[in-house]
Amino acid sequence: MTNEALIRDLRDALGDAHVLHLPEDLIAYEYDATIERARPDAVVFPGSTADVSAAVRIANEHDVPVVPRGSGTGLAGGAVPVLGGVVVAMTRMRRIVELNAANRIAVVEPGVINLDLQAACEPHGLRYAPDPSSQRICTIGGNVGTNAGGPHTLAHGSTVNHVLGVEVVLADGTATWLGGRQADVPGPDLRGVFCGSEGTLGIVTQICVALTPLPHEVRTMLAIFDSVEAASEAVSAIISGGVVPVAVEMLDQEIIRIVEPQMHVGYPLDAGAVLLLEVEGLPEAVAADAASVVAACEEAGARELRVAESAEEREGLWEGRKGGIGAIGASSPNFYILDGVVPRTRLPEVMSQVNALADEYGFRCANIFHAGDGNLHPNIMFNELDEGATERVLELGGEIMRVCVEAGGSITGEHGIGLEKRSYMEWIFSDADLDSMERLRLGFGAGERFNPCKVLPTGHGCASGHAAEMRGHLATPGVYI
Amino acid sequence: MTSGTVDLSEALPADGRRAAPDYPIDGAAPQIAQQPRTREEIANLLASATEAGLAVVPQGNRTALDLGRPIDRYDVALDMRGLDGIVDYEPADMTVQVEAGMTLRALRAHLAEHGQYLPADPPPGDDVTIGGLLATARPGAWRGHMPAARDLVIGMEVALADGSLVRSGGRVVKNVSGYDLHRLHTGALGTLGVIVEASFKLVPLPPATRSFAVRRPSVRDAARLAIELRDAALPTRALSVVAPEAAARLGLPDDAHVLLELAGYESALEAATSRVRDVTEHSGGGLDDAPPGAWDLLRDLAGSPDGVVLRLGVPATRIAATIEAARGLRGTAWGHLAAGSVVIHAPAIDVTSVRVLRRNVEAEGGFLVVESGPPALRAVIDPLGTATRDLVGALKRQFDPTGTLSPGRWEVGL
Repeated sequence: MTNEALIRDLRDALGDAHVLHLPEDLIAYEYDATIERARPDAVVFPGSTADVSAAVRIANEHDVPVVPRGSGTGLAGGAVPVLGGVVVAMTRMRRIVELNAANRIAVVEPGVINLDLQAACEPHGLRYAPDPSSQRICTIGGNVGTNAGGPHTLAHGSTVNHVLGVEVVLADGTATWLGGRQADVPGPDLRGVFCGSEGTLGIVTQICVALTPLPHEVRTMLAIFDSVEAASEAVSAIISGGVVPVAVEMLDQEIIRIVEPQMHVGYPLDAGAVLLLEVEGLPEAVAADAASVVAACEEAGARELRVAESAEEREGLWEGRKGGIGAIGASSPNFYILDGVVPRTRLPEVMSQVNALADEYGFRCANIFHAGDGNLHPNIMFNELDEGATERVLELGGEIMRVCVEAGGSITGEHGIGLEKRSYMEWIFSDADLDSMERLRLGFGAGERFNPCKVLPTGHGCASGHAAEMRGHLATPGVYI
Repeated sequence: MTSGTVDLSEALPADGRRAAPDYPIDGAAPQIAQQPRTREEIANLLASATEAGLAVVPQGNRTALDLGRPIDRYDVALDMRGLDGIVDYEPADMTVQVEAGMTLRALRAHLAEHGQYLPADPPPGDDVTIGGLLATARPGAWRGHMPAARDLVIGMEVALADGSLVRSGGRVVKNVSGYDLHRLHTGALGTLGVIVEASFKLVPLPPATRSFAVRRPSVRDAARLAIELRDAALPTRALSVVAPEAAARLGLPDDAHVLLELAGYESALEAATSRVRDVTEHSGGGLDDAPPGAWDLLRDLAGSPDGVVLRLGVPATRIAATIEAARGLRGTAWGHLAAGSVVIHAPAIDVTSVRVLRRNVEAEGGFLVVESGPPALRAVIDPLGTATRDLVGALKRQFDPTGTLSPGRWEVGL
């Protein structure tokens, strides 16, 4: 087997223009939004399902791995070609194949940008509900791969709840539909289990999504608190009051002081924490929900509540939230984004523990996260040039994940396991659990060829120390959560 | 691995033995019926049965045993109703962890005390067990307006045929750790493993509901009105088009109807009702309260043990045509707009007609499944369609290589 033969076969099948193989071209495809690096042997840009099938078959013939890739915004190293092979970059397949407003579905290619689909739906009074903070750049295919969430997951659910069917190319190069154009296709929910499989079971080549109507009215509020603990108490109080807002996002003082001077969106600099809250529906329902939310916040000690009075104000509040992580990049030479989940009621104590741990380790930690879901995103700021800082940050990250697990939570809410968290899987799953997950992989015929060394902690040729694995997962500026 | 005779007495404690003739499936009784009290007993039973080469059919309240192909072998009835407790319920987290043998009715009563519910309204009613609810994953009228059980399941414990007990997901509402095997077992009819416990994200019970019926001169008119009502984006929990024959069963006049349920605050329902009235009057219909129990009657009909029940996945714009086709076969039919599903109940339908119906809906990208019917019909209508049969077969070989669990229920022989 030679590399030249692989490149030649790929170029013959997909066309010279759609295959990259020179080292200077491959560099850009060595990493995603983490900084783990590994060089692929080739990057291909298929234009159709048949191209994807061809690329997979050729990779099989040459016995090299296949790694699917969207926009490369992943935060767990899921698109890094650790063992080389062929990166299948889906960015050229970006057609909205069908937008059927009467039946409220859209069929899209995987390279369609999330926000582009939103924009296409809007004139029909519809939306595609999942809105990860990276929606300006992330692809629907990538969203399927990670079962992406976002600020509105609280009420609207994650990607899997909006995907009706996916066309996938399996390990042997055959294409098949899982699910379909309607919900509740009979049989084991293959569509459901494929969502969030991080490109280890196959490559998604088309997606049929359900669209939902735009609400009559949206009300966005900012509740200002003196402490994270008080804001955390408010989150549970709001929801146990019988109202599930469509979004409950928290920003702590550290992140407010990073975001506000850069973005000027109106977050008070002296607040201990703010909650960004949103309710939607008929005007009458919005009024009732908002009143209930306000009462719960006041009860929990909110010192002020502001309501966005215009679309611009609302967008400003959201811009500060969605651009928050990017702003950290301008404030610290390096930072490490964590993604953990705890039961909502454990938020107050867990937030205290997270901040105490960061203090103990001597790092600044900014929290900007999906409080309603109990989905934390501590961002640990540091300078990798300080001796030993990187190791200590990784150690701190591990300790924070431990806190989440011990509180009855999980090690990732929306970013995925990828490379980053493989070695944490044993904290929450037994050998038998992991063995049953391996059975799924084998049932799909994927073995180790699709995106090797991802998700499961075991794998051929993937052994590496945890520290070495984690080292690469220090995010670069310009990422989103 | 041992060989020869297997002593099942340890796996089948005497106090869990039940009368086998009480567990017939398609007229055949098993050799043994057992109602375990613990998940370890279930695991032991499966391991022993697998070793002995016996076929096990897990079952809850036995409401959907004629969904899928007639099983090839039936030695052991595994009655799941012995595991019927709530493991953990934290109302403030809005999550519940529940054993698979608990009925939806019992769970609903428990959650209602805290103003919460699992918004599932499957046929034939709330007597389904939680395991059965997930294993069959049949939609009701709320589907599409509310998240379904398959959307709300956040974790699961499953007993595999080899006797291992395995978990996926967890107890938090947002979680992408590892493969979501709880989704794989959803809809699998217990053929890949036996669900012993599930965790769900819950939603608040609506403060109030109102149901309406609108009489229309034809199914087509009713479907058109239903689409207008859908597009009004109201706080709707159910929106269905009902053929005259089905309307008559609900105590309505023998005409096509739209059935609508609104759910939310009283104040919002008041406003929504007036919007509904605007839409219906504009299209020339009058708005009446739905007859009491109308939705439950529809569920009963969809879960009817007699005759044939078909469920078809069709786009909203094809619901009227599909209902009309069903009427041509002397079926009683109705369609749920948001789910894109049409249910047909008929005393009998011949195989050819079912095949024609299936071909027509598949041409539109839809599907047809026989939800209940005589074995002769279910034996020839592949429940999976053709698309994923190979994949389901490959998964079956991984999860149940000896074919212990309900062998043949999917047409994916080993």
